[in-house]
Amino acid sequence: MTATTQRPAPPRWTGERRGAIGVVLLVAMVWSISGLDVTLDRLLGAPSDAWAILRQMIPPAFARVAARGAVGKVFESVYIAWIGTVIGAVLSLPLAFMAAHNVAPIWIRVPIRQLFNAIRAVPELILAVILIPITGLGPWAGTLAIGIHSIGTLGKWATESIESIDSGPIEAVESTGGRWVSSMRWAVFPQVMSTISSYWLFRFEINVRASAVLGMIGAGGVGSELVSHLVFRDFPAASAVLVLTVGVVLTIDTISASVRRRIITGSVGSDDSSRSSEALADLTGIKHK
Amino acid sequence: MTPTPGQSTRPERPRLRARTVGIAAALMAFSIFAAREVGFDPSTFWEVWSNPLWGKFWPIPWDWVFDSRNVLQPFVETLQIATISTILGCGLALPISFAMSSLTTPNRPTYLVSRAVMNVVRAVPDLFWAKLMVTAIGIGAFAGAWALTIFSLAVMVKLFSETVDGADPGPLEAARAAGGRHAPSLRTGILPTVFPDYVAHALYVFELNVRASVVLGLVGAGGIGRVLEAQRQFFRFDRVLGMLVIIFVVVWVIEQVSVSLRKRLI
Amino acid sequence: MIRLEDVSVTYPGGVEALRGIDLTIDDGEFVVVVGLSGAGKSTLLRVLNGLVPATSGSVVVDGTEVVGASAATLRQVRSRIGMIFQTFNLVNRTSVLNNVLMGRLSVVPAWRSTLGLWPAEDREAAMAALERVGIVDKAYVRASNLSGGQQQRVGIARALAQEPGLMLADEPVAALDPVTSRQVMGDLQKINRELGITTLVNLHFLDLAKEYGRRLIGLRDGKMIFDGDIADVDDDTFRDIYGRSITDEDLLAMGDSPTDGSEGG
Repeated sequence: MTATTQRPAPPRWTGERRGAIGVVLLVAMVWSISGLDVTLDRLLGAPSDAWAILRQMIPPAFARVAARGAVGKVFESVYIAWIGTVIGAVLSLPLAFMAAHNVAPIWIRVPIRQLFNAIRAVPELILAVILIPITGLGPWAGTLAIGIHSIGTLGKWATESIESIDSGPIEAVESTGGRWVSSMRWAVFPQVMSTISSYWLFRFEINVRASAVLGMIGAGGVGSELVSHLVFRDFPAASAVLVLTVGVVLTIDTISASVRRRIITGSVGSDDSSRSSEALADLTGIKHK
Repeated sequence: MTPTPGQSTRPERPRLRARTVGIAAALMAFSIFAAREVGFDPSTFWEVWSNPLWGKFWPIPWDWVFDSRNVLQPFVETLQIATISTILGCGLALPISFAMSSLTTPNRPTYLVSRAVMNVVRAVPDLFWAKLMVTAIGIGAFAGAWALTIFSLAVMVKLFSETVDGADPGPLEAARAAGGRHAPSLRTGILPTVFPDYVAHALYVFELNVRASVVLGLVGAGGIGRVLEAQRQFFRFDRVLGMLVIIFVVVWVIEQVSVSLRKRLI
Repeated sequence: MIRLEDVSVTYPGGVEALRGIDLTIDDGEFVVVVGLSGAGKSTLLRVLNGLVPATSGSVVVDGTEVVGASAATLRQVRSRIGMIFQTFNLVNRTSVLNNVLMGRLSVVPAWRSTLGLWPAEDREAAMAALERVGIVDKAYVRASNLSGGQQQRVGIARALAQEPGLMLADEPVAALDPVTSRQVMGDLQKINRELGITTLVNLHFLDLAKEYGRRLIGLRDGKMIFDGDIADVDDDTFRDIYGRSITDEDLLAMGDSPTDGSEGG
């Protein structure tokens, strides 16, 4: 089917648009660099300064750091993250139900959603800064800061989860004459709990990093160790603290990721029937697919 | 033969596995232990409201807040830090994300090395990077920009490599079948498909950077956070609150613009 | 000229896709390959341009050995082989022209194609390819806005833009309706006759194979069961290849094809 057709004129703006975007980016870069008190010798000196420090960081001074109790501090960060996540999870769950449009009426859910947004807008560090004058320095301030901030994020994620469920089971409960609470317990809960609990674990992973950081302003955890070593320019010790922190974070990430995977694919909390059918197959020699 | 009631083998009611109960108990015990360690104190919840310190947050000195030297200029600095970090961090994230995806990686060693390096980079809490930069480079916006660049790189790589992993491999195969080399094949076969997501992610990273640079200032890395920290140390909580209000409004505006731009891209 | 000698392909999972294939194809031939899904048709095509590495044997295309070739040699071989895919493999978000330009990747310097700065002569070649398949008026249209048949024509244009000596079509019409399928097959036939490009087509539908093929190769379980003139093929041969009686599923359009009436099943 080779018909003779006309060659169309090329659209005018493709090449120009790309050029315009490039110019915008260039201007943005120049503008932003101009505000950074960057001078040429600073720019050139930065790599060698960084290299000098890097060299001092190896080997990390694990023994010295452990003697100072850094390991205990790392664990403290984990406890802070854990309790903070628990607080966030427990408080956000009922609120999330009240914020979902397929569950709650508009005059409840709009304020709660705004509450979530407001909380999420305040970083944990700022929260800790506000809380420290009231609770005093120490891990409790960090825990509260993480807990309160987590209410915002976990609440938003949980609400999205609840809103995306299949409405069939809800109708089924209503059709049997069940009340709202029963509907929640039997129709909504089972569908969303696996997703929501995997969000809780994901938030825990993030919170471990956050709690390490909160230590830097005295809200408990390993951050304070890092800061004091850096301030005294004790780089081997600082790198030891870093390696410890990274090690713990990676370990928790890995464990949490595999648990989350198992939760989502449903093998956690499964009943015994699959095991008994395996036993039956072994006994009779019949393999069932 | 249809089974009559009472004659068919009913399955055993599944009992709660011992393992599930054990895990739940262990988690509870751990939580109680951890709560003690952190000094769990429920009384704080209502002490918080009655603390006299709250008085210091009010009234907000608006004339101080709106004086451009105090708040506006540091905020401009914050925006500048966010901009350059986003551009540099997201720019670097493009080739690294391609290296990290089995679909688009040039060879196996690159794949493994890039994944390992990025895992470690992302395991370091963002503000640790900031403090490291400040120590190495000195206080100021320059350090903050470097710290946020690494932060942007980490977030962008996470978001974008997921996009690349999910992209249609068909056009890439076509490019290779036509005899294309690696980079041109990626550029013609994959990039047009993933580019809108890339830009959307970059806008989101910019948003995160504006919020993050507020916090960066607390460790001395420049921007509005530095003013915030200074005022906090002088216990001028009224000014702190005023600044937080302004920050909240600006971040909210940026978020709205970003969301609407991103909607147009996808 | 293409020559395969005792070519076998075993995939990493253990699947033996091709077993001991011996095949010679002369320049300018139009060959149709048929067989069940999983018989090895796709693998056979891909072993020719090295997209799938052969586990053993020798594949020589125009005097160059493909098995074990270096990346640079492979690219060179591929530049002379155009490939058309069942799912078209177009970049949906960009224009038809940009898709066809992908055919010039082996000719244009890497830095130019990476930056998207295609030279004028390559744009000209792409336009000429589009003219040959008759959809040059859609050059600047977004690829996803075209119909299936038009998208496959773009795929053909992309292959033509390479100025290839060999065309490989992997089930090019499987996703198209009967009328469009015949148009595309007609295009392929025309290209083979007018430009003398050796053409290898995988087909699933038997009546289409009979209508458009001259030489037929039948694969079953990775082995070549039949290799000969399409005129020598009868329904018994098809039964050998497919291992069962012909059903209506194997025919593109029921009752339309000029068979001798023995449609079983």
